[in-house]
Amino acid sequence: MVKTDLIERNPLRQLAGDREDILADGAFGAVLSRAGIGKTALVIQMALFNMLRHKNVLHVSLNDPIGKVTLWYGELFQDIAEEYNVNNIKDIWNDIEPYRLILSMKVSGFSVPLLEERITDLTTQNIFNPSMVIIDGFPFDETARDHLKALRTLAERNGFSIWFTVHTHRDEQPAADNLPACFSPVADLFAVALELKPEGNNVRIETLAGSRTVETPLLLNPTTMLVTQDTQSKAV
Amino acid sequence: MKKDIKRVRNIGISAHIDSGKTTLTERILFYTKRIHAIHDVRGKDGVGATMDSMDLERERGITIASAATFCEWDDHEINIIDTPGHVDFTVEVERSLRVLDSAILVLCSVGGVQSQSITVDQQMKRYRVPCIAFINKLDRSGANPDRVVDQLRTKLGHNAVAMQAPIGLESDFSGIIDFVSMKALTFGGEFGETRQVEDIPDHLRAAAEEGREKLIDAASMFSDELMEAMLEERDIPDELIIDAVRRGTLKRELTPVYMGSAYKNKGIQPLLDAVTQLLPCPTEVQNEALSRENDEAPVILTGKPEDPTVALAFKLEDGPYGQLTYIRVYQGILEKGATLINARSGKKIKIGRVVRMHADQMEDIDSIPAGYIGALFGIDCASGDTFVSPGLNLSMTSMYIPEPVISLAITPEDNKAQINMSKALNRFTKEDPTFRTHVDEETNDTIIEGMGELHLEVYVERMKREYGAAVTTGKPRVAYRETITQRAEFNYTHKKQTGGAGQFGRVAGYIEPIDEGDFEFVNKITGGAIPTQFIPSCEKGFRSCLKKGPKMGFPVTGARVVINDGAAHSVDSSDQAFQAAAVGAFKESYKKAKPVIHEPIMKVVVETPTDFQGAVMGLLNQRRGMIVGSQDEGVMCVVESQVPLAEMFGFSTVLRSATQGQAQYTMEFCQYRQVPQSIAEELIEKAAKDNKSAA
Repeated sequence: MVKTDLIERNPLRQLAGDREDILADGAFGAVLSRAGIGKTALVIQMALFNMLRHKNVLHVSLNDPIGKVTLWYGELFQDIAEEYNVNNIKDIWNDIEPYRLILSMKVSGFSVPLLEERITDLTTQNIFNPSMVIIDGFPFDETARDHLKALRTLAERNGFSIWFTVHTHRDEQPAADNLPACFSPVADLFAVALELKPEGNNVRIETLAGSRTVETPLLLNPTTMLVTQDTQSKAV
Repeated sequence: MKKDIKRVRNIGISAHIDSGKTTLTERILFYTKRIHAIHDVRGKDGVGATMDSMDLERERGITIASAATFCEWDDHEINIIDTPGHVDFTVEVERSLRVLDSAILVLCSVGGVQSQSITVDQQMKRYRVPCIAFINKLDRSGANPDRVVDQLRTKLGHNAVAMQAPIGLESDFSGIIDFVSMKALTFGGEFGETRQVEDIPDHLRAAAEEGREKLIDAASMFSDELMEAMLEERDIPDELIIDAVRRGTLKRELTPVYMGSAYKNKGIQPLLDAVTQLLPCPTEVQNEALSRENDEAPVILTGKPEDPTVALAFKLEDGPYGQLTYIRVYQGILEKGATLINARSGKKIKIGRVVRMHADQMEDIDSIPAGYIGALFGIDCASGDTFVSPGLNLSMTSMYIPEPVISLAITPEDNKAQINMSKALNRFTKEDPTFRTHVDEETNDTIIEGMGELHLEVYVERMKREYGAAVTTGKPRVAYRETITQRAEFNYTHKKQTGGAGQFGRVAGYIEPIDEGDFEFVNKITGGAIPTQFIPSCEKGFRSCLKKGPKMGFPVTGARVVINDGAAHSVDSSDQAFQAAAVGAFKESYKKAKPVIHEPIMKVVVETPTDFQGAVMGLLNQRRGMIVGSQDEGVMCVVESQVPLAEMFGFSTVLRSATQGQAQYTMEFCQYRQVPQSIAEELIEKAAKDNKSAA
């Protein structure tokens, strides 16, 4: 059962702990890092993890067009399948692809009512009912809190969780609570926040906020961008 | 033909469906005394408008083919091509705008800028054709010319400026206020043939002055003299305004807007004045050819009749007297008896009969000088061919030909119909480059392709009427495939040894699925179990099974055959024996390999106004489509999906309906994918029924 392997052996299961999913319905998660460290790669792996379990993922990209996002998914899935020596990659991909739908919008054109309209179009016609939403490129600026509150209402009403990517800056001083300055004002809205920290040849995935920390630290292989377990580090 | 080329206008009349183009042309011909009676497009008298000469056009009340005519107004010669509004016949608009110098864009005062208005506008842009807009049907309930002018600006990006305002609207529509002369115009007589000039009614004076101010403001950008007069608040002569508007129009930076009701015979004469005053003569339009000697460098044509001839064939019609080639002369003079070269084929042609068209009637003439459109008989050429004087090595760019979007399979009802159908298809494909035909290699169906269901419907009807070829139409057959899903062993002996020369061959091995490629044959025979000379025959036998799979008769793909054992007889083994053994082995193992049916999946990308995004996704979803995603691009969005080809039949019509004709789509092959179980069962059931009826 190759697909089951891909699920059971996926290091992202560590993040969920005893639960089936990392986030509960209506909850927010964030992946924070500087540019180019691997935020998109991580959220896409989370999405693939869900797709393998036949859970619908709505990927909202405020940065990239559909073509680029599908390339990300294709390449990461290919890499994961090769990592696990999967032969029938194409069959598995054909099986899970229908569980993902991409919405690409310009940041300037994005609004919560617009997103709600798009989601309603999909759900009322029974085309696609997301259980997880990714918003990649959401602007964490001074207006973020209001938008996030509206998104929380939307997520709770529709029963999905939302993962956000948060772009932090190298030169930015952290806030008083030691969280990245752009994230600190809204951190209370998030159930889980993961920060990607470069460490030598690796990128460490650390939990910033949340009700649990991972027992075995997770790494992001900067070459393959795949999540792996850090077997050399002591268990936390 | 006019001797003074400056008094010639070559115009097209283009618009969305049912905006009133043909009715407008009918009125133009009447007021210019080209015809002496007006007939309506869908008139009760059954005669039909002048420019709709085909029976089908009259019966359906639509223009199918563009038609050329000419008339005189105010000592100007106006050559007119009336074009269809349906996107199905878009090639007629393409070819007309390619060869004309200017156009009238007709807009319905209720519908405003509609889907084909946008397409026609793009076509005008493509060929850099200056235009004036005519807002028609002011007598209709819901008429709102101000809204239409605004739409010209917002939806088409025109710098539209109203030259007139209506006196009353809907059933109260009675005339026009002209902002240049600042007079009210009404149209008396039985058919509105008498233009009456009066003072502007008091209650409309203020609005008229505001309209004139806006007009002068817009026009002054094209005339320093007008700008000065405006700033100095001097009296402005009419000619100064017209001259400025003309300059803006010729540059395509200004679109003057006229209005009226062709059906109610109001507003046509001022429109004709605008054609002569504002639109260019042939020498005011720059035309280019490409130099074949100089790496296709552009060469500007002089437009002088005394220079070497350059002409473009833009339309072909097969008739009782042979092929009629419509031609526009850009330079030189095309005379009866002259010799020209077809730049594409290099062939010399001698000009025979030269005619001038008036809808479906023709008038013999001696020559067609530069700036004019005429037609030739007896010339064998293709649409888009350039004709030049001997020694000149120029060629003109042809018109843009859009790709077909829909296809149908057609089957002649009998042998006679088959022959006539072929003749019909040969002719129609020659006349209309957007109508194509081919025979599907796999299914042997004759497929016709076109721009829409109406397009194909019209040709099928014409096949029947003009060629007596009765055909039935159906969805093109989908090219399904079969493939295997698991490894299966085979060990098959082909033996016929009952006496005399026998046959013997045993082949053993396995078949298994492969991801890439159609078929692989791997020889793992060791120890000479099958003599080397028979290995190619084994491969040949296996390959012969791929054309029609044992499951459903579809081609087999994605299979690897490995032979690793066998046996031969010293006398009875032969190429034929091992081929037969391979066939038997394949059939033996195929069912065990759990074959499935694959169908072609298309990548379908729909561009639609954002308002219809939900509807479009619904349409695709209903057709077993998988929505990949949607990209917002302001007022438009692009929906990308993967849809089985089998579900795409009729999609263009449904899409047009659901999006008021504002969405477009492209379709290309993506991959083969396994059909759902329910579809597979339907296919098996259908195949069984077909086999039964064949038996």
